[in-house]
Amino acid sequence: MEIPYIVEPRKDTGLNNSKIAIWLFLASEVMLFGGLFSGYVFLRIYADYPWPERTLPVLPGLINTFVLIGSSITVVFAWVALKLREWRKFQIYMSITLICAALFMVLKGVEYKAKFGHQAIRLDDYTVIEGHAYPQEKDGDKKITKNLNIAAEQILIDLKRVDDTYYETLGEQYGDQFVLAAELKLESSETTHEKGTVISKELIDAAKKDFLIGVANNSNINIAVARQASKDASKQPELKGKRYYDTARKDFILKRTKELKEEQKDNYQNVSSTLTFVAKEGTVDISVNPRWGKLSNPKEGEKGTLKLKDETLISGTTADSSITMHVDGIDFRHTVMKAVEKGIDPEVAINNSWLLKNENMKLIWDKHLVSVAKLKEELDAKGKKPTDIDLYRINWQEIAGLLDKSVEELEAMDHAEIAALFPGDIEGFAGPDHYKVHYPEVIVPREQVRFEAVFSPRWNTYYATYFTITGLHGLHVIGGAIVLGYYLFFGRKMFDSNPEWLANRVEVGGLFWHFVDLVWIFLFPILYLM
Amino acid sequence: MADSPEEIKKHVKLYMLIGVILFICTVLTVAVAKIEWLDFGERGFDTIDMVIGLLIASLKATLVAVIFMHLNHEKSMIYWIFGIGLFFGFCLMAITAFSFSDPIYFKDFFGR
Repeated sequence: MEIPYIVEPRKDTGLNNSKIAIWLFLASEVMLFGGLFSGYVFLRIYADYPWPERTLPVLPGLINTFVLIGSSITVVFAWVALKLREWRKFQIYMSITLICAALFMVLKGVEYKAKFGHQAIRLDDYTVIEGHAYPQEKDGDKKITKNLNIAAEQILIDLKRVDDTYYETLGEQYGDQFVLAAELKLESSETTHEKGTVISKELIDAAKKDFLIGVANNSNINIAVARQASKDASKQPELKGKRYYDTARKDFILKRTKELKEEQKDNYQNVSSTLTFVAKEGTVDISVNPRWGKLSNPKEGEKGTLKLKDETLISGTTADSSITMHVDGIDFRHTVMKAVEKGIDPEVAINNSWLLKNENMKLIWDKHLVSVAKLKEELDAKGKKPTDIDLYRINWQEIAGLLDKSVEELEAMDHAEIAALFPGDIEGFAGPDHYKVHYPEVIVPREQVRFEAVFSPRWNTYYATYFTITGLHGLHVIGGAIVLGYYLFFGRKMFDSNPEWLANRVEVGGLFWHFVDLVWIFLFPILYLM
Repeated sequence: MADSPEEIKKHVKLYMLIGVILFICTVLTVAVAKIEWLDFGERGFDTIDMVIGLLIASLKATLVAVIFMHLNHEKSMIYWIFGIGLFFGFCLMAITAFSFSDPIYFKDFFGR
């Protein structure tokens, strides 16, 4: 079949169809990204926490901008080459475009990887610390300190909610160490499991099935009873013509329902929605990734429960679940914000914070105060004021730069000399390098942790929008590169038979490519520089 | 639409020039954000920095749309299609602006 108007323009529009199609698509894309930008502005304006502005390393973003602009130029040149029927030049320019697309995605990957490997904790007093969570050697065993630990005595399974969470997370490791706390009779299958039967997936599944059959059976009886009672009421001569809301009819039905239920007593099945297991020998030390559950009482040595996602309750004594952090960022802005709301002096709030009770953190803070004082002197001369970020945030450059200097040494320096100590953009291409610099360590007890996450969409709305928009943009880059790649690698035949058609195709693909560049032109300053 | 080879050849230089301007504008955006003496208004990020950043970005976007995407000589159909898309895109932004007057953000809305 011949496709109409792919080379020659349609008379009514004056354009070929593929061009109209791509512009319709681009118009819808404008609205898609417009909505996302609008969402970002909304989230930022109404954020109830200090916005993490200018936190991304700029260099990868800058290089990516150059790469995309470069590829935008080469894609135009590729089109020009086709228009002039120069296949070799087209190949060269299109190849450069594709290399640029690949480079863009690689840099994006480097950036994402750094983010997913970077831990953040919001402490109980809203102090934010950033860094790497490290496995800690304990009694010769390597123990991932991010895990939640509990010396478990009992597991209470909620049959209404249970799914495979227990088996996916703990079953294989601890499965044989828990046994049934009491005899379990399954009425529907007429089987009995002795007290002391080892926990198993089959056992839980059978109990869940029995529970569901029991509930269904009992509901069926209840429905039948209600129907019968209603029928009986209609047969009563004194209730003839009375509607359902009549009191006498209602009373009769209640009484009759009670009688009928009593008659059906033996048909009801015993149902219990909980299933209890106990540890075979005293307690079992359980360690679970926080993504699967939550501790009710994070204080070490106290009684508490660990609730898994499917409401399975593991009760026992909370064990040490602290997180060892190598800190490369401290942010007191949220602490200050909360203090100001309560009418407390920011300095008092910071000095009373849990973090500064740690000696090495206090030392960093003292050095930061010296550095800020020098900055203030410098700014005073210019009639400017330090920002909240200057005052209350210590970034990785500052920690790395001031690590080897003492407070006295810093006091003898001026602002420019101190600033010269901070590592530059190239040194921290995608963020702090924990192999090069040994960042100070702090052990955060679990009860001090308000929220912890890596720099993933979970951490805050900024990163949620960052990953959503840049992720979507990345998918556009991949999609565009596939289309342009198709023209490059499979376009020769068309070039020989109908070069104008191929030129039109490349123009349409190029229009999409320019749009991808256009979105990035806005994304780069908004996400990296503002 | 520039269709004859002679006309297209003439445009190549323009494309190069626009590319160079885009590179320069990118460097400028970063400079305004990073270099202290180019930091207008208060120290750090503030409204003026935002306006400057977005203006440069808008200029770059316009250049890409007008020159690379050939919007400088296109048929009216395209202007309509893209214009309507752009209009609704701005409407979505306007919804955010309207939220400023949403009573839910008034301090005493919930009797607090």
